[in-house]
Amino acid sequence: MEPVLSIQNITKNYGPIQALKNVSFDVPAGSVFGILGPNGSGKTTMLGIILDILIADAGTYSWFGGMQKDAARKQIGSLLETPNFYHYMPAIDNLEITASIRQAGLDDRNRVLQLIGLAERKDSKFQTFSLGMKQRLAIGAALLGRPKVLVLDEPTNGLDPAGIAEIRSLIKTLNKEGITIVIASHLLDEIEKVCTHVAILKKGTLLLDGPVNDVLRCVDQIEVRAADLLQLQNILQKMNGINKIQLADNSLLLTCAPGVIPEQVNSFCSNRGLVLSHLVLKKKSLETKFMELTS
Amino acid sequence: MKELIAIEWMKIRRYRTFWVLTGLFLLLLPIWNIEVAYGFINLGGGKNGVNFLSTAYSFPEVWGNVGFWGSIFVLFLSILVIIITTNEYTYKTNRQNVIDGWSRLDFYHAKVLLVFIISTAATAYMFLLGFTFGLINSGSAANVFSELHQVGYFFLLSLDYLGFALFLSIWIKRSGLAIGLFLLYSFIIENIAKSIINHWTDLPVGNLMPLQTSDELLPFPLMQMAKTMIGQGPTISMNVYAGVTVFWCAAYYFSGKMILAKRDW
Repeated sequence: MEPVLSIQNITKNYGPIQALKNVSFDVPAGSVFGILGPNGSGKTTMLGIILDILIADAGTYSWFGGMQKDAARKQIGSLLETPNFYHYMPAIDNLEITASIRQAGLDDRNRVLQLIGLAERKDSKFQTFSLGMKQRLAIGAALLGRPKVLVLDEPTNGLDPAGIAEIRSLIKTLNKEGITIVIASHLLDEIEKVCTHVAILKKGTLLLDGPVNDVLRCVDQIEVRAADLLQLQNILQKMNGINKIQLADNSLLLTCAPGVIPEQVNSFCSNRGLVLSHLVLKKKSLETKFMELTS
Repeated sequence: MKELIAIEWMKIRRYRTFWVLTGLFLLLLPIWNIEVAYGFINLGGGKNGVNFLSTAYSFPEVWGNVGFWGSIFVLFLSILVIIITTNEYTYKTNRQNVIDGWSRLDFYHAKVLLVFIISTAATAYMFLLGFTFGLINSGSAANVFSELHQVGYFFLLSLDYLGFALFLSIWIKRSGLAIGLFLLYSFIIENIAKSIINHWTDLPVGNLMPLQTSDELLPFPLMQMAKTMIGQGPTISMNVYAGVTVFWCAAYYFSGKMILAKRDW
């Protein structure tokens, strides 16, 4: 299937600072695509470029296989950086402007206000809203006219835990309805829980991209110890499915092929007359993986 | 185009500053003219002051007179244009408009249309005031339309001032700085530059500067008289001033467009 968004060799400089360096990736239709990276890695710059508010120094992008860009944006619901609304206007009137620009029906405003839980505050001015309410309104505005694609920059910013969970389940529900979602975040948790695909940026360079299970696959490690470490190492070198053996702190750290479980290591050693004094399965956390990738 | 105007209207109809400044323009302009017409504002002050200006409230001079005072009150509207435009930058709603599907040019054209609409409305109001004052003070409807082109001049002047205000706002983005520079330029910088140019060239070409050229279309009513009395040097015809005003308006439009197309938002 044709990608919803295709990014080719995008480069962007702010004076001497290179915000994006030759970044290319595709966002497959129907995915929840996470753009992950630490602060200042170029996530928002990337979203700004694909939404036409920043101008790339080099490279191209195309929506829906090359649709005219203004027309494409009318079919994309976006929340970039902060909620931007007319502060002196009530929520309902702010949504009127969004709906009119997007050429969506005005009736859709009430559905959206219900969805984000602001129906009762629809006549309050935007400037009276709390940070979380502003964020909700921005998400609501993005949903006006049932867009095919949502672009969300740190969508859970400013929300309380209940709000975060709500947005998460909303994203999943919308994705099931066939909406493609692009999320930029520095919150690993967020990406891990909702994304099907991910691109990892670091200082403007694309490190990795692809299905989340490939990119963020966590390889488990097994830690073993025995009285005679040298003998243990010799034995384990003969075992199938062990890719790497590292010596660390008086024990051996085994990087295994998928499917190798600690019991197999134990029985392999005892069959060869060696008793293990220590056997632990070490799960590598996503955070460790992320730190490894980005530092 | 209708759509752009409709959305621009949504933006300002609930904006209190818009109504306050527009209301003050609508209220203060006739009050000021009444004061001038009936000698409240005069030379020397008080009830015995010399009233030079009130004579100019009958047809056809009334057009030039109301037009001149109106041209000063256009400052209200210029500041309004600056506030409305720079607000978009302050609250990043210009970005949101584009994110939601407008092109940058849509955003710009909505504001350009607003400038046209405010200029047209102000001109219609100036016509109404001139017509009313003229009828009251002339006693007859003779010569009503003989100086009517002054109304057209007022439209050009409004377009010039508001267009300049829009250009400054797009260029500078920040409300306070844009208003400050606008006032500084219109009252001081341009006058300094004009005088220097006129002095050096010994010709009135400094009068063709962006705002001055439209000011020349509606001069202070007594200035004409004074100039005739003194006996002046070379002059520039009104048609040239009008043409140059149109040129400057086009220059604001195209410069603004260029800035918007190239810049990050």
